[in-house]
Amino acid sequence: MGIYVYVTRRLLLSLVVLFGVSILTFLLTRVVPSRPEILWVGPRATAEQIAKAREILGLDKPLYQQYLMYIGAFVRGDWGISIRTKQPVLRDIASRLPASLELILVSMFLAVLFGLPLGILSAAKAGTVLDHLGRLVSVAGVALPAFWLGMILQLVFAKELKLLPLAERVDTITLLLHPVKHITGFYLIDSLLSGNFVVFVDALKHLVLPAVTLSTYPLGLTVRMARATLLEVLGEDYIRTARAYGLREAKVLGKYALKNALGPVITVLALTFAYSLAATFLVESVFAWPGLGRYASEAIMVVDYPAIMGITMLVAFTYVALNLIVDVMLAVLDPRVRLE
Amino acid sequence: MYNEKGGEIRMRRVFLLMLFGVVTFGLWSLGAQPNVAVYVYNSEVMIFWDPSDTYSNEIIAMNNMYEQLIRYDPFTDSFQPVLAESYEKSADGLTWTFYLRKGVKFHTGNELTAEAVKFSIERTIERGMGASYIWAPVEEIEVVDRYTVRFHLKYPAPLDLIASGAYAAFVFDPEYSDHEWFAAGHDSGTGPYTVEAWKPGDYLILKRFDDYWRGWEGNHFDKVIFKVVPEPSTRRLMLEAGTADYTNMLPITEIEALKDNPEVEIVTTPSFQNLLALFNTRKPPLDNVLVRRALAYTIPYQDIIDGVRFGYARQSRGVVPYGLWGYSDRVKQYTYSLEAARFYLAQAGYPKGGFKLLLTHVAGDEDERRVAELWKSTLAKLGIELEIRGMPWEAQVELGQAPDPTKRQDIFLFYWWPDYPHPHSFLREMFGTRDEILFNFTYYSNPLFDELIARAEELAGIDRAEAINLYVEAQNILMEEAPGVAIYDLKYARAKRTSLKGYVDNPAYPHVVFWYECWREE
Repeated sequence: MGIYVYVTRRLLLSLVVLFGVSILTFLLTRVVPSRPEILWVGPRATAEQIAKAREILGLDKPLYQQYLMYIGAFVRGDWGISIRTKQPVLRDIASRLPASLELILVSMFLAVLFGLPLGILSAAKAGTVLDHLGRLVSVAGVALPAFWLGMILQLVFAKELKLLPLAERVDTITLLLHPVKHITGFYLIDSLLSGNFVVFVDALKHLVLPAVTLSTYPLGLTVRMARATLLEVLGEDYIRTARAYGLREAKVLGKYALKNALGPVITVLALTFAYSLAATFLVESVFAWPGLGRYASEAIMVVDYPAIMGITMLVAFTYVALNLIVDVMLAVLDPRVRLE
Repeated sequence: MYNEKGGEIRMRRVFLLMLFGVVTFGLWSLGAQPNVAVYVYNSEVMIFWDPSDTYSNEIIAMNNMYEQLIRYDPFTDSFQPVLAESYEKSADGLTWTFYLRKGVKFHTGNELTAEAVKFSIERTIERGMGASYIWAPVEEIEVVDRYTVRFHLKYPAPLDLIASGAYAAFVFDPEYSDHEWFAAGHDSGTGPYTVEAWKPGDYLILKRFDDYWRGWEGNHFDKVIFKVVPEPSTRRLMLEAGTADYTNMLPITEIEALKDNPEVEIVTTPSFQNLLALFNTRKPPLDNVLVRRALAYTIPYQDIIDGVRFGYARQSRGVVPYGLWGYSDRVKQYTYSLEAARFYLAQAGYPKGGFKLLLTHVAGDEDERRVAELWKSTLAKLGIELEIRGMPWEAQVELGQAPDPTKRQDIFLFYWWPDYPHPHSFLREMFGTRDEILFNFTYYSNPLFDELIARAEELAGIDRAEAINLYVEAQNILMEEAPGVAIYDLKYARAKRTSLKGYVDNPAYPHVVFWYECWREE
């Protein structure tokens, strides 16, 4: 099957998946006992105020009609108004997404930077102390509760050693003194683009603790996946042949084994990325990071259904898109992978 | 040689110039360091931007952007002039005239006039959102002249208390009063600060309004940052590190941990907020007054205050909290007494208990949960089983409003606070006869009680002492019939940097810091 046909088919299937997710989420958020109209007008609303709010929110219409209205507006780019923040959901998400992406990308980078070499070493030196260390890191990384680690890091590096900032994305007063033009919403990039090194350094410092905290899970995963797949590949015939030819071990590992072992690692990391978008709320809470995860958790707490819908659709879309990209990428990288 | 020397001189000049540059930049940046205060808050600060609708967290910022005609001081039970320099009421309490301060500017540059006051209040009433109902006694607002505005009332309500409300009483510029314009993050008040920047979910920055009518002589903050920091331990660490000046609410455990830090000060003030247990008077066994009385004796008041609030509360007397007018020592108070409880249970025909009660509270409120747990243990001693159910607020309300009274909870545990400093809402909302259940989760109806509080409300504007007498009488009926019990009046425990001066916690404006009145002592 040609790659174009494959991609088209997958895209169409993705639409079906997204459609399904939208129906399911819509139903779930509406089946949960909640009174969005009370949240809309405030805790002390009178009966008339509540009735008026029901009308404004369209809650007086049958559920299927509400869904059709929602999805119709959704595809036109109107994701509804958040019941909690009273702001358009799309704007809410757009203002919080860069914060989350910046944090997740840096933490992913750290995970790969340290996780991959550790995984490789662990596999290459299987059974040695180094391997045990690698396995310890991988288990600890996956098992450690991130919020707890975050608090410990705060206590040690911010409170006691005073080396790094405690929380927030950037020091607000520094930002007041050295304003940054909003270009991408990523402080690191925006400050660099506008030549504002003070904010760049400040933002970088602020990123360290939350990024390290958030990286532990993908780091553990990377080490584990890299080690496992590499060990499997290293046991294969062509590696034995390569070694029999007397190739240097570094070349065997780096050139022949690693390429074939990376596929699953990339897949897992891509999925972790999509998952992280909304699942970082504990880390975001501890570090007062104004990201999407915190927005999601706050929306869920009060059953702010337009916001929950918006986030779910975004995460679902990211999952589907990343999955597709990874599959296509793997096929391009490895001709043995068939697109079916 | 010449060249070399010339080069050397040039180098030296360049070096001196650079040094000069660095020093001036350093001095400039030191000088440019704005005088900024930071308020760390546990959730989104700006929910409603519309000053007519405001009914949520945003009042902590709004009360610095907007002003009312007058401000209430509950400690002295008096009013301070703000936008109105003075006011007077007619002998019958039906006409209130406010004389406005001249030369007050809105942030938009326009001048404050009587027309603007009339427009603001009428818009708030018309929109009918939030706490707008506080203006219900108003019949008509009349513009007497450019700086005089007169309110004509339907009955003699205390308009001074209404006009000083923390919600729904803001005055804004009629020319800039479009709902969408507000919602996009704008303000058109007269307050000392105005919006500089807003990043939803992250921060709100207010900057000083240069033309503020009180001027900027003396020590004031130039800017105020409201920062959203959900995690209490992070808020505490920020206070300790000095990156925050103030936070309004911390769990008691965090407050206790901060007590010994000389750089942090804990400010405690009695609040107008109390925790109430409302009994379902329409469902057996609590439809029996004897059982309700017994229940009121089973609450371990002191253990709750010590064990749950670590002393940051006092036992309620009646249902009007301590510090609010209408509170009185003449109101009876229940004590913890299992003997008394046993006596009433036996009289009601339940000498061994033997029934089960459902208590609902807001999920996630640790204090409420722990109060319920302590109470459960004392009830168990009398053979009464208490089921504790934490629910989202909306769900708790929905159960409380279920059409069939027997499907509802037995005990509704929650906090109440007034929308403006008036005891009325404590009595009417939860205990007054209501056709439709809004907050009357006692489902109580007593015509005599209704009559007393209605008369008290009508007298409140002209004869406060007599109104209090009636409120005392009404509360004693509640103590007798026990449709519900207020357990404790909350004491606020605020944490602030010791260097932050000028702060007064005014319970009539809960969680508000009037930043103009504060400064930092270096």
